[in-house]
Parts: sequence; C-alpha cells; structure tokens
Amino acid sequence: MSQADWALALTIGIGLALRGLGLLLGGALRPDHPAIAWASAVSVATLAAFVTLAIAVPSGLLATVPLPARLAGLAAGGLAFWLLRGRLLPAMAAGLAALLLVRLIAG
Amino acid sequence: MSAGAARQGAAQALGAPALAMGATFLAFGAAVAEAGLSLGWALICTGAVYGMAGQLVLLQVAAGGGAALPATIAATAANARFLPMAVAIAPLLGRAGRRWWALPFIAITPWAAGMRVLPTLPEPARLPWFLGFALASWYVALLTTAAGHLAAPHLPAELRAALLFANPLYFCLLLAADARRPGVGPALLAGVLAAPLAYGLGGAWGLPLAGLVGGTLAFLWGRWR
Repeated sequence: MSQADWALALTIGIGLALRGLGLLLGGALRPDHPAIAWASAVSVATLAAFVTLAIAVPSGLLATVPLPARLAGLAAGGLAFWLLRGRLLPAMAAGLAALLLVRLIAG
Repeated sequence: MSAGAARQGAAQALGAPALAMGATFLAFGAAVAEAGLSLGWALICTGAVYGMAGQLVLLQVAAGGGAALPATIAATAANARFLPMAVAIAPLLGRAGRRWWALPFIAITPWAAGMRVLPTLPEPARLPWFLGFALASWYVALLTTAAGHLAAPHLPAELRAALLFANPLYFCLLLAADARRPGVGPALLAGVLAAPLAYGLGGAWGLPLAGLVGGTLAFLWGRWR
C-alpha cells in the first residue's frame, strides 16, 4: 500500500471512531461541553487555514490561475451569496464564472 | 410510516442539496484525477471518509507526497466537526441501538438537514427520514465523484482549474455563513491568521499544526473572555 492508501485507511477509521464517540456521548455531554467546543474550534481553524492557502497560494493546476482571477472568483461568489441570501449553488456559479472571465480578460 | 418517511427524506435530498453537494464532489473527483490517483481511491474516499473538508485536506497532503501520519492528522483535524455534529444529532435519532445505522452518514449535508427537519417529525419517523436523506445524498456523492474523475481528462485545462476552485469557494461561503454561530468567528479568524504558519512550516505537518494552534488559541480566547 502507498502512503496515500495508508492515509486514506487511517482517516476512514478515525472518522468512524469520531462519529461513533459522538453518538455514544450524545445525551451524556452537552454540545457546548469544553471538549466538544475545542474539537469544533480546531476543525474550523484547520478548514479556514486550508481555504486561505488554497486561494492565496494554491498548488497544482489551480496555481496556473492568476491571483486576480482567484480573488475575483472569491469576491463574486461572496457577493452573490450575500445578495441571494445564502443560496450556495448560484453563488458558486457566479464565483466560477468571474474566475473564468477575469482569466480570459487577463490572458 | 418508516418507508414513507425514508422516501420523503430521499426526495428532499435530491433537490437543491444534491445539486450544491454534487458540484463539490464533481470537483473532488476531478482533483483526484488531477493528482494522479485512481477512481477506486476517489470512490473509497468519498464513500467512507464522506466529509469533504477532510477529503480535500487528505488529497492535498497525501498526493503532495506527504507521509500517511501527517496527512491523516490534517484530514482528521479538518473533519473533527464529526464529533460535535454526532453529539448534537444523536438524541434526535432515537434510542441508542438503532441510531448506529446513521453512523457512516453523519456529514455536513445530511446533518444540517436532519437538525432542521427531525425535530418536526414524530419520533418513529426520524431515523428512517434521516437514512433516506443520507443514502440518497451518499449515492449522489459517489456518482458525481466518479463523473468528475472520468470527465477531468477530457476537459480543457482552464475548466479543470476552475473546477478545482469550486471546493475552496464552497467552504469559504459555508464558513462565512457560519461565522455568527458561537465560537465559529474567532476560530475562523485564527485559522486564516495561522495560514502563513502552515505555509512557512510547509510540508505535510504545516496544515495540521496551524489548525491545532489556531483552533486551540481561539478556544482559549473564547473561555477567557
């Protein structure tokens, strides 16, 4: 097995364990218990750091998209999400369309 | 009542949630193909990890040549929300024995729908409704992952790059929408501020360490205030 396969197998196992632990604790622990709050905070922070890196300094094929196009996609998606009161799909479509448009204009 | 509730759940899953979620799994399938990993890897990841945040982090670290341990820690940190999500939804899924059927499907889309709809249903209908919704969502996720993986090599590079942008954008919007919930805003800000740390440290350990440091500081900030 490759490292990617091992990582996948371990992530599956730990993910099931986390869900199982949550089902066991449900009813015993309040959702605002400090341990639960800490796990939530780490989860949000990791995701926020990942998204920041993916937009600011992406790797792979996304790195070929100029920064202004990525920022335009983010701004258009955010604006559409706000104007459309939280409708995800049209907001994502607006963001991707803006990214493609700015990339086309910028060459 | 059980079959009817399950059908209702499935029908609701196949509306707007399936479209929004399907778009992200389509992008994930394309990203896995882009990273040179197999369709089987993509399907097992979607079917068994079934948490897009962790899937993306896992893909980034593992496909970048990272070792299994940091990739697992980073993906687990990104999906650590499984724990509070399961704690919150457990009482709505009925008595302890039967609720285990829901275990593999506790993920953001079924969870958010379940938290909204389950309290409005009579207790015997809750678990069947959740399983109907979750199974329909899960099949959509698998189908769109396969479609993304198979279509990616045939798309022009510009479109593939745009597709890869879909997931960071999706999570950016979700995080922004969640920012007003208690505890989320500081953790979100701490994660953004910790991103340079992840970048500076680089390698496979950068992201999990940044998430751990940022999340812990945000948690302590919330307790101290």
